[in-house]
Amino acid sequence: MIRLEGLTKRFGEREAVCSLSLEIARGEVFGLLGPNGAGKTTTISMMIGTLPPTSGDVHIDGKSLVDDPSLRRRVGVAPQALALYEDLTARENLAFFGGLYGLGGRELNAAVDGALEMVGLRDRAGDRSETFSGGMQRRLNLAAALVHGPDVLLLDEPTAGVDPQSRNSIIELVRSLKARGTTIVYTTHYMEEAQKLCDRVGVMDRGSMLALGTIHELLKDHGGDSVVVYHDEHGEQKIVTRDPAAEVARLIERGVRSGLRIDRPDLESVFLNLTGRALRDGGAE
Amino acid sequence: MNAIIRIAMKDLRLLARDRADAFFTFVFPLLIALFFGYVFGGGDGERSAMPVAVVNEDGGAASKWFVEQLSKAGGIEAKPAETREAGERLVRKGDAAACVIVPKDFEDSTKKVFSGGGMQLEAIIDPKRSAEAGLLEGRLNELGFRQLARTFTDSSMMNSFLDSAREDVSKSTGLSPLQKGIFGTFFDSVSSLTREVTSKSAPGETMNGAVGESGGGFRPVTVTMHELRMDPNSPNNSFAVSFPQGVVWGLMGCVMAFGVSLVQERRRGTLLRLCVAPITRNQILLGKAAACFASCVIVQVILLVVARLMGVRIGHPSIMASAVLVSSVGFTGVMMLLAGLSRSEGAAQGFGRALLLVLALIGGGSIPLFFMPRLMQQISSVSPFKWATISIENGLWRADGWDAMLLPGGVLLGIGVIGFLVGWAAMRRWSPT
Repeated sequence: MIRLEGLTKRFGEREAVCSLSLEIARGEVFGLLGPNGAGKTTTISMMIGTLPPTSGDVHIDGKSLVDDPSLRRRVGVAPQALALYEDLTARENLAFFGGLYGLGGRELNAAVDGALEMVGLRDRAGDRSETFSGGMQRRLNLAAALVHGPDVLLLDEPTAGVDPQSRNSIIELVRSLKARGTTIVYTTHYMEEAQKLCDRVGVMDRGSMLALGTIHELLKDHGGDSVVVYHDEHGEQKIVTRDPAAEVARLIERGVRSGLRIDRPDLESVFLNLTGRALRDGGAE
Repeated sequence: MNAIIRIAMKDLRLLARDRADAFFTFVFPLLIALFFGYVFGGGDGERSAMPVAVVNEDGGAASKWFVEQLSKAGGIEAKPAETREAGERLVRKGDAAACVIVPKDFEDSTKKVFSGGGMQLEAIIDPKRSAEAGLLEGRLNELGFRQLARTFTDSSMMNSFLDSAREDVSKSTGLSPLQKGIFGTFFDSVSSLTREVTSKSAPGETMNGAVGESGGGFRPVTVTMHELRMDPNSPNNSFAVSFPQGVVWGLMGCVMAFGVSLVQERRRGTLLRLCVAPITRNQILLGKAAACFASCVIVQVILLVVARLMGVRIGHPSIMASAVLVSSVGFTGVMMLLAGLSRSEGAAQGFGRALLLVLALIGGGSIPLFFMPRLMQQISSVSPFKWATISIENGLWRADGWDAMLLPGGVLLGIGVIGFLVGWAAMRRWSPT
């Protein structure tokens, strides 16, 4: 469905994205993980055609996005910053953006209603977006990317700075879009979101793709060992092991039960192992 | 084209929703135009002496006395003029509110006071200063009463008037011998009364106060008012001067509103959405320009409609239509330039507004161009507002025809094209993110 071929972007001497190549299948939710400054947004900008690559290309169903700008009609984008007209109502915002994609009349009205329904803002359709809470504005931002019914959706940090309720709502929405067969590229630095949503994840840092695979594969290959923790007469004890289940069984046999738990590797530890630093360190992109 | 219209409509809607922008674009210029219209036209309030051109065509003693008294009259600043045409010119230029003409037969007319005639005067008034004309008529009648009082205190003058009246009565065919006898007795009584009054009066003392106060409905002066023949090369009223000023501020409001909105699109991220849509950069910029152009046209049309309601005559509708269009093109270019060269909203709001304010002020936004000193008029040529003002004035009252539109129209079109191209080139380099 989407193929990135040696995608590179240089700003002067600085290489923001270095020869990125990957393929994303139809209906897949692909997570692009990395700290601020990793090159995620630059990659997304090249994928949507607003930033010309220094070299390389983006293909959708085999057609180059650089050569065929009409492919943009099939792509929806929810940028990291809220991109809405605050003085327009939710309906007017969506009608305007839908109209830019060639929708009109009843088709546009139906599309606007559908998008408002999907993000749970139907009852606030006539209110100006400036009156919305941060979470509601995020959902409207997402609706503006959906209104023309794209089959590729690029979501750049869609849950940044939102309340837990809106975050859950957005996650549910992404799941329902995946169920409909929409191909989604999802950038985030929230590991738990990526683990919940993504079929595959690419870990980026300093413009390079450090690792790529399913969550299971990444944990297996880069997550490191599990840690079994328990308490005895000397205090808290930790055992680093590849086979935590066997280790726990052995401890129970010895009669150790106090404070017994397993700390399994997660994407955070994947990132730590790959880069030597925590995911949420990093400077501005 | 659909996308361009959608972007333009969206921007016009946003302009209408932003109360501050809408106020400064549509309401503020109207207030400016009305304010200056009243200032130039003279609303109520304290006034200085009314300048009046005075033409003495008679040259006799009575007329000289009358002109002298008019010069001394409080609230009137008499400006002698050699001829009727010269006086009319003073009114047309706005140097005088009216022109009073003492006609050739004034001396004779003063003798007809007792035989159905009266002093005859003419006045040419500026229709846009009709309130002052009413005041002038009152002052002329007051002077007429003084002239009458002077007659009563001057026996030789009175006898001359009475002789003239006796002659008129004796020649009259409509009066019976009995009536003629009654008039004769009356004239004799007046003559003896005048002699008695003159002998008791101190030298130079007059009865003007007493006569003036007891005048009642009697009007010794007949003033024939003529409206100034309108020169198509001058504004027909003060609002014809102030509404082009309003246009200046309206155009400035449009430039600021849309110039800033383009920068805002970039800052708020909505430009990114526009750029990822299947439309070209050119369509986005043309949509913006179309909204600004439409807004410039709308504000000018609103101002002209109100100007018409205030009695402004649009002398040349076709020239006016072209003036509105070229002004809109010119200022759309200014908007594109402002937006393209402003890196931030603050730059557009601060530097842009300051620059435009200066250009608007020297371009006729505060003082009409023709009131400015010659040097200032030359300096004002750098302001696009000047050319818009001249264009609008061409449509309203300057009767120089299409030839006079060539320079301001060409300048405005040039500014429009150059501004659009420079702004367009700068904005094409903008990154939407």
